[in-house]
Amino acid sequence: MQGSAQSNVKELNGRAAQRGELLQLVSFHVDGEEFGLDILQVQEIIRVQQLTRVPNSPDFVDGVINLRGKVIPVVSLRKRFGLQQAAQDKQSRIVVVEVNANVLGFMVDSVSEVLRIPVETVEPPPRLTKVDREYVSGVGKLDNRLLIMLDLDRLMTMAEESSVMKAAAASAS
Amino acid sequence: MTDDYLQDPALMQEFLIESEELLQGMDQDMVALESTPSDADRLNRVFRALHTIKGTSGFLGFEPVVQVSHRAEDVLNLLRKNELQLTPRIMDALLRARDQLGVMLGDIRDSNTTTYDLSELLAELVTVQSAAVVTTVETPKAMAMAAAAGATNLPTLPQPAPLAINQIPASPPALPPLPLEAPAREPVASQTPTAASPARASSVAAVAEVPGKPAADTSMHTLRVDARKLDDLINLIGELVLERNRLMQLSRSFSGNKFDGQKMAEDLSLSTTRLSFITEELQTAGLKTRMVPIETVFRKFPRMVRDVSQALGKEVDLEVNGQDTELDKSMVEMIGDPLVHLVRNSLDHGVERTDVREAAGKSRRGKISLNANQQGDQIIITIADNGAGIDPDRIGRKAVEKGLVTPEHLRTLSKREILDFIFLPGFSTAATVTDISGRGVGMDVVRTNISRLNGVVEIDSNLGEGTTLRLRLPLTVAILPVLLVEVRNEAYALPLRSVQETRQVVRKEIHRIESMEVLQLRDGTLPLLRLSRLLGLPDSEESEGGGQRAVILHVGEKRLALLVDRLLGQESTVVKPLSAYLLRCPGLAGATISGDGHVRLVLDPTGLLKTASMSSAAMKAAVGSTR
Repeated sequence: MQGSAQSNVKELNGRAAQRGELLQLVSFHVDGEEFGLDILQVQEIIRVQQLTRVPNSPDFVDGVINLRGKVIPVVSLRKRFGLQQAAQDKQSRIVVVEVNANVLGFMVDSVSEVLRIPVETVEPPPRLTKVDREYVSGVGKLDNRLLIMLDLDRLMTMAEESSVMKAAAASAS
Repeated sequence: MTDDYLQDPALMQEFLIESEELLQGMDQDMVALESTPSDADRLNRVFRALHTIKGTSGFLGFEPVVQVSHRAEDVLNLLRKNELQLTPRIMDALLRARDQLGVMLGDIRDSNTTTYDLSELLAELVTVQSAAVVTTVETPKAMAMAAAAGATNLPTLPQPAPLAINQIPASPPALPPLPLEAPAREPVASQTPTAASPARASSVAAVAEVPGKPAADTSMHTLRVDARKLDDLINLIGELVLERNRLMQLSRSFSGNKFDGQKMAEDLSLSTTRLSFITEELQTAGLKTRMVPIETVFRKFPRMVRDVSQALGKEVDLEVNGQDTELDKSMVEMIGDPLVHLVRNSLDHGVERTDVREAAGKSRRGKISLNANQQGDQIIITIADNGAGIDPDRIGRKAVEKGLVTPEHLRTLSKREILDFIFLPGFSTAATVTDISGRGVGMDVVRTNISRLNGVVEIDSNLGEGTTLRLRLPLTVAILPVLLVEVRNEAYALPLRSVQETRQVVRKEIHRIESMEVLQLRDGTLPLLRLSRLLGLPDSEESEGGGQRAVILHVGEKRLALLVDRLLGQESTVVKPLSAYLLRCPGLAGATISGDGHVRLVLDPTGLLKTASMSSAAMKAAVGSTR
């Protein structure tokens, strides 16, 4: 519940600004872009472990992993954003988040650090990023870096819808 | 003030759970009271239960509940003081009050704001008090008591909820009918106790199911656990923490300079032994917290048997044993409906009418015994009646008629195998054993539901002596025996209950009928499906050379052969749900975690069959369009 409340960065901005707070973000890289996730949404960050492929699953689901006895799906952000595939390396991590009361992992190229940025520097999403604007809740500026802040609720809700539509299309054909 | 309480969901939840339990207990006690009206303990228990419900609902402001429980309490109070004798009419009125309470509590839980027409029920509850006094002709004091009870609240009773009581006018006919939206009831007031017609009893039976069903809903997420079980669990967790400390100590001394390899190895092996012991214990203790006595299911049967046998005009005694046998909570929730079906079946088709029984030289009253016990890791539930039994010849004839078996084959079957036909769909006992029409739910549904719990149903019957149905259930649904198979170097688990056999397949046994592959077996041809294709994987290399394994699955009445690369063996695993994002993947039942911590997918044979038939239909359509 807390996760979804915090996911709305705009709302968070509003509250944080009133108290003159900084936003705490976990930053990670996918295909050269730097992304930020509200730290309260991130449950943990783990190394890549052996994935079990799930047949007939939506194509952006890389597979499932065992997270201390819980089976959670891992979503490839590259596939989700329709970016070029890349092999996993030592830097690859799985960011475990909770979205809409579901725990899931995001496969990312690397996780860099926890950042604090002043809320005033967050701006509405620009038009030109590799990621669809719908999933972006804002862009944070830090020195000369740009952090794309993801709206996980929308990212996964739309993911669900698209997978349903695909399934429907498959059964119709 | 009251509104604040109403908004406290925890308090409401507690009230609803408690009331539900009390009502169920009342059912049992009230039916028992019918045969032993002088049992003061039971009477007091029913009285106290009603009193508690009245008190709490008054406190929470549920006036209709207070009204009904208050009137019923008046009647019980007179019974308790031996100033009134229990007649069938009084019992019917009390049971109706109890059912009404169940309906109202159900509506409260579902937040339905319904208004009830209680005037007739309340009037009946008042009338039975005075009516009984007239028939028993007791002391004038009893008269006065009854009158007092009818008029106002009894001075002896503590009244935590005075708000509702005085709103009921003293004389029954003057009660204002409230707007009616609740289920309509037949007028009962005019009926005499002797005219206890089946129609009326059956209406009671029908109503009785209403409070029964939501009961499962409330209990879905909450569970009362014996504190001793939790103590065991916490104790074991303490042990686990100790063991972790030992391991940390070991790891520290390992990283330090001074370590003795020999001693280290010994300590480590000792520690891991203890750890595996603790985790096993912990697993058992954890499962035990989910175990509840089967009594929660059995409790509703005395009432049900009473109502149904009354409706059918039969006299039936119910004997219940082994109520404290424990099984998994989810299991308890799921066996309720199949059991109700089986007991109803025994009442309806098993036990004969009184005259038939006497003509056959049997005791006048029929008997149904319900028994539960644990044998190893299985729970056995038996439902036995001493009724007419099932004629195997008749079942056999019917099976031949329906083309399920040839007359020659029939002769080779044992009695048990013949009786087993009644579990086939469309083979309802109603149509075969008696002439009473079926209820639309066959024994096949019972068998399907039980096998969904990884259990089995067996039947045994002696003509003229009775029928026994035996349910064998695993202790818990969480643990599933599976067959591990491998395709393209990935292991998958198949529920063992769907596996009939496995066999080596050579290429020449695989034939092609139109676009479908089939496997030739000794007793026929089966559709052959390649697991790799079902899972959207490329065909296995060996597939051309043959030498693969086929798993023969039976899904309902269908059989099919599933081609896999290798068999890896059997295992008992804990099935975990897949994430909500993956729920729409067909053919998957869940996931398990293998010994080395990897996730293995559990396949769902029914879903696989569905995907297969969909793709074959698509294939056929494609073939048809090219022609």
